[in-house]
Amino acid sequence: MTTQDRARAWAEAPVGLLRLGTDGTILDANDTFWRWTGRADLPVGEGGLRLADVLTVGGRIYWETHVGPLLSLQGTVEEVAVELRGAQGRLPVLLSVARSAADGPVAYDVTLAAARERTRFERELVVARAEAERAAARLQTVQRVTEALSAAAGVEGVRRTVLGAAVRDLGARSASLWLDGARDGLTFAGSVGEHGSVGEHGSVGERGAVELPPLHGQRVVTASDGVVIVPLAGGRSVHGVLVLTPHDRPGDDPPDLAVLAVVGQQAGLALDRAAMHEQSVSVAHELQRAMLEHDLPADPRFTVTSVYRPGVRDLEVGGDWYDAFLVDDRTLAVLVGDVVGRGLQAAITMGQLRTAARVLAGPRTGPAALLDGLDDFVTRRGVGFMATVVYAALDLGTGAMRFACAGHLPPLHLRDGDATFLWEGRSTPLGVPGAGPRGEHEVRLAAGDSVLLYTDGVVERRDRSLQRGLDLLAEAAARSARHGPWTDGLVERSLDSTAHERDDACVLRLRWHP
Amino acid sequence: MDLAQHDVRLTGPAEAQAMVLAHGFGCDQSMWRYVAPQFADEYRVVLFDHVGAGGADPAAYDPVRHADLAGYADDVIALLDELSLGPVVFVGHSVSAMIGVLAEGRRPDLFDRLVLVGPSPRYVDAPGYRGGFSADEIDELLATMDENYLGWSSVMAPVIMGNAERPELGAELTEAFCRTDPAIARRFARTTFLSDNRADLAGVRAPSLVVQCREDVIAPVEVGRFVHDQLPDSTFALIDAVGHCPNLSAPDELVGAMRQFLGP
Repeated sequence: MTTQDRARAWAEAPVGLLRLGTDGTILDANDTFWRWTGRADLPVGEGGLRLADVLTVGGRIYWETHVGPLLSLQGTVEEVAVELRGAQGRLPVLLSVARSAADGPVAYDVTLAAARERTRFERELVVARAEAERAAARLQTVQRVTEALSAAAGVEGVRRTVLGAAVRDLGARSASLWLDGARDGLTFAGSVGEHGSVGEHGSVGERGAVELPPLHGQRVVTASDGVVIVPLAGGRSVHGVLVLTPHDRPGDDPPDLAVLAVVGQQAGLALDRAAMHEQSVSVAHELQRAMLEHDLPADPRFTVTSVYRPGVRDLEVGGDWYDAFLVDDRTLAVLVGDVVGRGLQAAITMGQLRTAARVLAGPRTGPAALLDGLDDFVTRRGVGFMATVVYAALDLGTGAMRFACAGHLPPLHLRDGDATFLWEGRSTPLGVPGAGPRGEHEVRLAAGDSVLLYTDGVVERRDRSLQRGLDLLAEAAARSARHGPWTDGLVERSLDSTAHERDDACVLRLRWHP
Repeated sequence: MDLAQHDVRLTGPAEAQAMVLAHGFGCDQSMWRYVAPQFADEYRVVLFDHVGAGGADPAAYDPVRHADLAGYADDVIALLDELSLGPVVFVGHSVSAMIGVLAEGRRPDLFDRLVLVGPSPRYVDAPGYRGGFSADEIDELLATMDENYLGWSSVMAPVIMGNAERPELGAELTEAFCRTDPAIARRFARTTFLSDNRADLAGVRAPSLVVQCREDVIAPVEVGRFVHDQLPDSTFALIDAVGHCPNLSAPDELVGAMRQFLGP
């Protein structure tokens, strides 16, 4: 190329070409650049137009904060996407800068390549990527909250979980919860402040000045002051609303209404489940109470007393039960059993076994035969599989007591301060197929003797062996017998298990005094 | 706090007064490479990276804590508590000037003097106040940042040495300067440019120096004067430099102004 050709190539190249001073002043530029910017009328050189002046404001800040420092530090920057404010509107360009190799004062050579198509494509990519990231983040948040909700126990658990999630996961500065009261519409059910402490029910002081706008069905509503109201919609009805006050600091994201709507639904369903669960718990308690709180038989020839201590692990009823009844005028039957499982199902099973035992018991039905009958019942009806039970029938005239244990702990025989476990008459729990014949055994009581039937909650504890538990029970029962009459304190004294882990437990005591 | 979390680097005599140099938005501690060595004879010079920049641990970024500048100020306080160097000279560039103001307001015992380079307590115009930008223009910046999001690290690959015989050097130097985590940088941009800390200036107790460039589109001269007027005890130094980063473009002018303020 001739020198003239080269000069034309510089002037008319399909890219903008510039030389800048160290402060960004345009020292020279080709015709393409001036055509794009339409600023050829302005003076160039010292004190004249700067490249930053023809960028959009965003590009100018970017130049000052990112490109400039890098040029100072490394002398070159490549492919930065900025926009020129041009004669025909904005022109996206890719900018590359390198320290000039020319002699003399430090200068920078710049190329600007038009990037309309590429920029359009890249913007779509950026939008798609941002969308994908947002979707992933949303999914994570929803999953985290849903998991927490499914682990929440009862309405109280859901209440705490929802308020906790509001500030931890949903970006709220503070939040309050209003649940549907029976009569008076929504009632305050707690709040959570900036420091994450969940307020208590009806703590009026924290109620603040939240004015609830009317609910529009099940939609998330943003009030004029930025407060967001999320309905907690269950399967059939709206249980209440979560009222969120979002953060409004510069770096905060605005509340994501789509996520809030999903969380509201999940919380509503969790409240459905909690309500159903609490109902089932209360029915189970009612059933168990009906079964256990009946009058035990009273007779001058014997005394039967019982102690039942519910478990404290959760609200559920356990599977322990007992019964005592006169089979005929001279035979007293006593039973203690334990069914597998907890809750409503366990309560129903107890009731069925108890009724079956009463129906089966008769003057000519010994303990082994009664257990055979229960086996048959369990197999045919499909309830009470693996339940354990101890049955004893006492001849009130002679003191002969025949008993049998289906997988249950042995009766404890008390005489004159001596305690003996009756390890005879043992066989498998109910309903186990292929087990051998049921055995039974007879022990002869003396006047004044007692027998204890009890469940494993009395002797079992995680931090000691079963044998140790049995020993402690025998000691406590013997001590109690020496001190005269039976006292309710026996169970508590022999079983001071730590409250948080204790299972339910029951003890039935029969004393024969003809 | 773990000092490695902020890639803390210490130079200069251990017994000397500490000078903490805090970088601004868009870069990392390498911004101070022409300034820090000039004080390393008389001061215990502390360099660090804000979370999201340079060698700082990105896992330390907390979207709640760092949603406003107070979170960054808390980081500085934790850093100074950990170092326990006595009251320091805190030199904050750009947004770090305001981070220093907030930190000093909370824990004046940690600060002896403040040097604020190109400070702006509010970038967006408000009634009776000219910050230099409209809210729309800040959105434009965020869009520009998004467009340079794709392949950010390769865009900024430096060739400072250009040593073709030893390509392993080039690989090592890639991303050596001004690395920023794009997602964090975008939030930091919002936190930086949408904050309003004008009211915090009056609470500064430490003697302060405002270093203002002759021409600076990010922090114009009138904003620098506003900061000077609001600070209870401040000195104003207008230096002959153009642009927002005199620590890189005019390090000697900046160092000169600092020496005059700090004294011998």
